[in-house]
This record gives sequence, C-alpha cells and structure tokens, in this order.
Amino acid sequence: MDELRIGRWNWTWPPKFPKWGPRKRTNFRIGMLFLLPWTIGFLAFTLYPMLASFIYSFSIYHPRAPLEWIWFQNYTDLFKDKLFWQSLYNTLYMVIIGVPLTLLASFFCAVLLNLKVRGQSIYRVIYFLPSIVPTVASTILWLWILNPQVGIMNNLLGIVGIKGPNWMTNPAWSKPGLILLGMWGMGATIVIYLSGLQDVPASLLEAAELDGANWWQRLWHVTVPMVSPITLFNLITGVIAQFQYFAQAYVFRGFQPLGYPLNSTLFYSVYLYQNAFLYLKMGYASAMAWVLFIIILVCTLLLLKVSNRFTYYAG
Amino acid sequence: MKSKLLALFSLVIVASMLLAACGGGNKAADQQVLRVWIQWGDNPQQIQTLFDKYTAETGIKVEVTAPLEEDKILPALTGSNPPDVLVLSGGDLVKSYAKEGLVTELSDIIKTGGIDLTDFFEAPLDQCKYGDQILCLPWGTDMYALFWNKDMFEAAGLDPETPPATMEQLAEFADKLTKTDADGNLTQVGFLPDQGWDHSDLYVRMFGGFWYSDDGQHVTANSQPMIDSLTWQQQFYTKYGADKVLAFSSGWADQYMSADYPFYTGKMAMYVDGEWMTGPNFISAFKPEASYGVAPFPPPADHPERANTAVVQGTVAVIPSGAANKDASAKLLAWMMSPDIVAEEFCFNANLPTSKKAAQDPCFTANPKFKVFTDLMASPNATYIITTPISLEFNDAYGLVFEQAVHTGADPKPLLDQLQTDFEAKLQDALK
Repeated sequence: MDELRIGRWNWTWPPKFPKWGPRKRTNFRIGMLFLLPWTIGFLAFTLYPMLASFIYSFSIYHPRAPLEWIWFQNYTDLFKDKLFWQSLYNTLYMVIIGVPLTLLASFFCAVLLNLKVRGQSIYRVIYFLPSIVPTVASTILWLWILNPQVGIMNNLLGIVGIKGPNWMTNPAWSKPGLILLGMWGMGATIVIYLSGLQDVPASLLEAAELDGANWWQRLWHVTVPMVSPITLFNLITGVIAQFQYFAQAYVFRGFQPLGYPLNSTLFYSVYLYQNAFLYLKMGYASAMAWVLFIIILVCTLLLLKVSNRFTYYAG
Repeated sequence: MKSKLLALFSLVIVASMLLAACGGGNKAADQQVLRVWIQWGDNPQQIQTLFDKYTAETGIKVEVTAPLEEDKILPALTGSNPPDVLVLSGGDLVKSYAKEGLVTELSDIIKTGGIDLTDFFEAPLDQCKYGDQILCLPWGTDMYALFWNKDMFEAAGLDPETPPATMEQLAEFADKLTKTDADGNLTQVGFLPDQGWDHSDLYVRMFGGFWYSDDGQHVTANSQPMIDSLTWQQQFYTKYGADKVLAFSSGWADQYMSADYPFYTGKMAMYVDGEWMTGPNFISAFKPEASYGVAPFPPPADHPERANTAVVQGTVAVIPSGAANKDASAKLLAWMMSPDIVAEEFCFNANLPTSKKAAQDPCFTANPKFKVFTDLMASPNATYIITTPISLEFNDAYGLVFEQAVHTGADPKPLLDQLQTDFEAKLQDALK
C-alpha cells in the first residue's frame, strides 16, 4: 500500500516492522483495536464537526436546504460587525488583564502554601476547594458576593472606607467582577505552581542563601526562573481558556439579556453562541469560530516563540 | 490475510456505530411512542402525569422532555428524529424556524386533528399567524398588569384601594413612593419600569405603536411611540440617579421566588408582573400576609380608549417538519388544545388558558386578582408581540438601546434612529 516517507522512517500500512515477531504484531493490532473507540469519537465528534464548520463558514447555512455559497462574505461581514469588535475587545480584556493577574496571584499563593508552617495541608485544601465548585454554582454564589446591597464584597470594602461599585450593573466593573470570580477558582493553577515550586532544587536556594541573597532575591533570581516552564504552561492554558470564556458570562447576567450590562460581558464565545443558536446564523458563527481558532493559534505560537527568552529548562 | 480481516472488522464496527448515530429516523415511522418537548417546564413530573392521561385514553405512550436549554432546540429540529410536538417558551423564534422550513404549517394538522380555532382567544392565536399561514398554536398564556403594595400606598398618604389611572399619574405616585436617605441613596422605590425584565412591549402598545409595522414587513424602531416609551421609562431612573436606582435594585430578580422579594419587604411599591403571581405558588406561598392590589396597566392620559391594553406572551406549540408521523402529532396536538386539558394544565400552573371554554372554569375566575388577567385576555385591546424572522437579533439590539436610554439616561432618539437603519435593512434581507 501507500508509502509515506517522514525523516528516515518509511511508513507503510499495515506497518511492517522487520524486527517484530508475530506476537508483537498481534499485540500491535490489539492495541490498535483498543484505540478504536477514541479514534471513532475523534473522527465523528471532533474532526468531522471541525471540517463541517470550515465548510459552513463559506456559506449561509440552511438546515433543510442546500448551503448558499457566499465564499468569504461571512469573514468580511465579521470585520464590519460592531458587536464582533465589542466581543473581541471584551475577550482581550479578560486575556490581557485577567490572565497575568491570575498567574501572579496563584504564584504567590503557591509560594505561601509552600512554606513550612503548621497546618499547611489545611491551607492547601482551603485554597483548592473553590476550584471543585461547579462553574454555575460558583457564579451564582458570586452574584451574591458582588451584590452592592447585601453582598459581602462591598460590605468588606465599606469597612475599610471604600464605597464598592455596582459590580453587576456598571459596565466598567462587570469584567473585573468576573476576573475576581475566576481568581477565586484558581486552585488548579496553584497546584501546578506548587508542584513546580517543590521541584526547585534546595541546593540552589541554599547556595544563594550562603551567598547572602535575601528572601526576595532568592525568589526572583532562583525560584522564578526555575518555575518558568510552569509559568509558560499556565500562561498558555490560561490564555486559551480566557479566549473561550463562556459559562460564567452566560450565568452572570442573571435574568438580563446576554452581554448585560451594556454588552460589557458579550464575550467572543457568547456572541458566537447567539449567532449560532439564537439568530440561526450557523455559517457566520462558523466563520467566527475559525477566526477565534486562528487568533488562539497565533497567540500560542507567539507566546512559545517569545518564551525562549524567559523560560529556563533545567537539564 | 488475517490483518485484512482485522481491518475489515474495524471498518464494520466504525460503519455500524456511525450508522447507529445517524440512523434513528427509520424506526420512528412505526413507533408507538410520541415525544413531546417542552422548553419551559417548572415541574416535568406534573407534565408527564398530564400526558399519561393521553396514554390512558389512546394507548399511545407519550414521553415528555422538559425543561430544555435553548441550544438543544435547533439541533433537534434539524436532526432526523425531532420530537412529535415541541412547545416553545415564546413565539420569538417561530418565524425564523418557518423561514428555514423547520416547522410545519398547521392548516392541515388543524383539519386532521379537528382543532376548533374559534375557541382560541384572538390575541395569542394572532401571534402565530403569518399571512394566511398558521405556524404555531398558543398553549399557555401570560399577561401583565400593575401590582401595587397597599401598605406602602397608605404610608405615603395615597388611597390604598386606588391604583394610578394614567401613566402620568403613575409617575406622580411613584415619586411620592420613592424615598432616599441623607446621602441621596434610595431606601424605597416607587416604580421600576423593568423590574424582572424589560416590559417595553406593554408601554409601546400603550403609546399606540410597536417596533414592527402590524404586518411585520417593516421595522418602526424610531416611531413616536417607541421614543415616548423610552422617554417615559427613563424618568424612573434619571430622576433619582440611574446608578443609585441600579445599585438599590441590584439582585432583586434573583430574589423573585423568596419572601425577600422587594415588593413584599416594602422596598418597591409598584411594578409590572404576570398572572402567576396571584396564583398559589408565588405571593400566597412566599408572603401570604402581603397586602397588594392588581389592576390593568393604565393608559396615557390623552388616550383613555387604550385602557385594558395588554400584551400576551407565553408558550406556543409547533410541529417540527421532520416529525415522523404527522397524523399522530395532529391528534396529540388537538388533545393538548382541548379545553379540559388546557384548563387542567394551566389551572395547575396558574397561567391563563388560551381556550375560551377553559377560561369559564371557576379556577380562572374565582380569585378576583387572577380574574383581572382573565378579563384582560378577553379585552378587545388585548394584543400580542409582532415577530419576524429576525426577532431575536432585533430584541438583543433593542435591549442595548433600552439599557443605554433607561439605565444611563442617553437620548433615545439617535439610538432608535440607528437601530431603525440597521434593522430595516436586515429585515428586508430576511424577508426576501
């Protein structure tokens, strides 16, 4: 059958591995058989929908009539659509402000949770607990925390003399409110950082200490570089997650229309959802999905490229 | 040889799984189970019990799925095995579905099922008509009226038994009923025009228009009634500082089903709400001692003839065009629309019946507060929400204009002009 040449390997199907005995070959086939459920799932529920959405993105989608080909018009319309830009702005806000804040906060939490103090495991549990609360439940909880009349947040701010904002009805404060909600549930990021902190060689820290480095210098010059691959990982997964931000915004508006207040929570995925399932513009929504895919791809590649300068891989 | 057998075997598995995933449609034709999907369902078990009666009468099993997230509906309608009857929360999307051929025109179904259209109240039925087509049938209906807190009226020196007679008087009453503390923060609000959600449909009708022309062929977003409605609603926010009103009322919608609802706790004196509030599951469950009145929303002073104007909303039933057995769907739909079943279902939920015969049931007339709504339904000024194939998109865009005008005090005219320009073009495009 077909041969595919990649590097120094000649791939044929079924694969011929000259050194393999019959037993190994059987094992290989059985292994492949075990992979089959995943393969089917991937082909039918991931690859096929992706290809279909790519094709739909060049058309006006009619569920019960042939597609109407309009080629790039969905894409050109997107760039003229005010709401598209608004949703992109809202999403970038979450990426550019939310992700670094969350990284910084979770790093410092992890540093604190890495200190050797009595009852440390209890603190770790406390910080991790919020991240196992289901998204919808935690969002509804935060609706109440941020309530300007009875919410605990503005009451606490009031104690220190700050008059808290209208978190849910003021368009300038709705996204910061959502970022706070996200930071409350950053337990998974903390745990990843914590594991990274525990991999920082004690010998390096001790050496720095002997050289007279204080706590801050050890943190900045030893710990931070040593966990930089973890930072990169958390950064990229955080950026991707924020670009796809949906569930919290869907719940946060309460009984108000999506995007409330004043379209300040109309995130990219929310607007995509509206177009697909409420306005029945599946072709347009597919084009949006592909534009988002390209944006995320470019951002990820850019981060990987730039990261060479600040990421240190031991060994 | 063996490996080819294995490959073939895998292929068969893949193919059969894919077929199983896509098939479905074939077996629907000879099934004896009908499926009813209901988007809005507080109490799925009760609805199932209702449809079990159909099984008892005919031997045909009915499976009820309720409630449904809105994103489940489009895939169901486009898939090969849609439900036999689908009940939507409102008529907003019916014309969009019809445009894509997803729902059946019901004239034949109405004939086959022997459904008596003269038994329907006109307003809810009219929302389902499109030219001479009938795209849906209304099932349960909601209407809205003015609720006022009698204790708060008394405390403000107003007659607790007399609601405002005009929209202008309502604004005067609201001002008397609004209180602020020394810092200008609200402690009590007289009237919130959009408590719960936006009620612009009612106010625009009171000012004598709507955001579409009556035939649904044109957008009339910047017509005078639209401007009047937003200007009238604005005052309840701008007079006291929109931010202060928003801060005071923040989170109220989430207290709807609790004893803390501001209408009971003396924080909000008047607002607009639906008939179900007067039934057994709301005010009498959460705050039985609440002393309140209900009256039709008042007309503007210079148009007394618009008294008893009310806008119907509520659930509508459609039959997906992919439904396997249209005759079976027709019979089930006719059964659902029969006065006895309508009376039973909406008596239970304290919603308005769409059937005139069912409305005679003492359940809908015995409670004088509920009867306000039953009477509104029969009012010649009862009307409906005009819909088009772009209704949802328009509603969202209007929602933004509403927020800008009412919650930030922006001048409605230029916003509505822009809305008009954008959406008249979209509507003409969609109607092509």
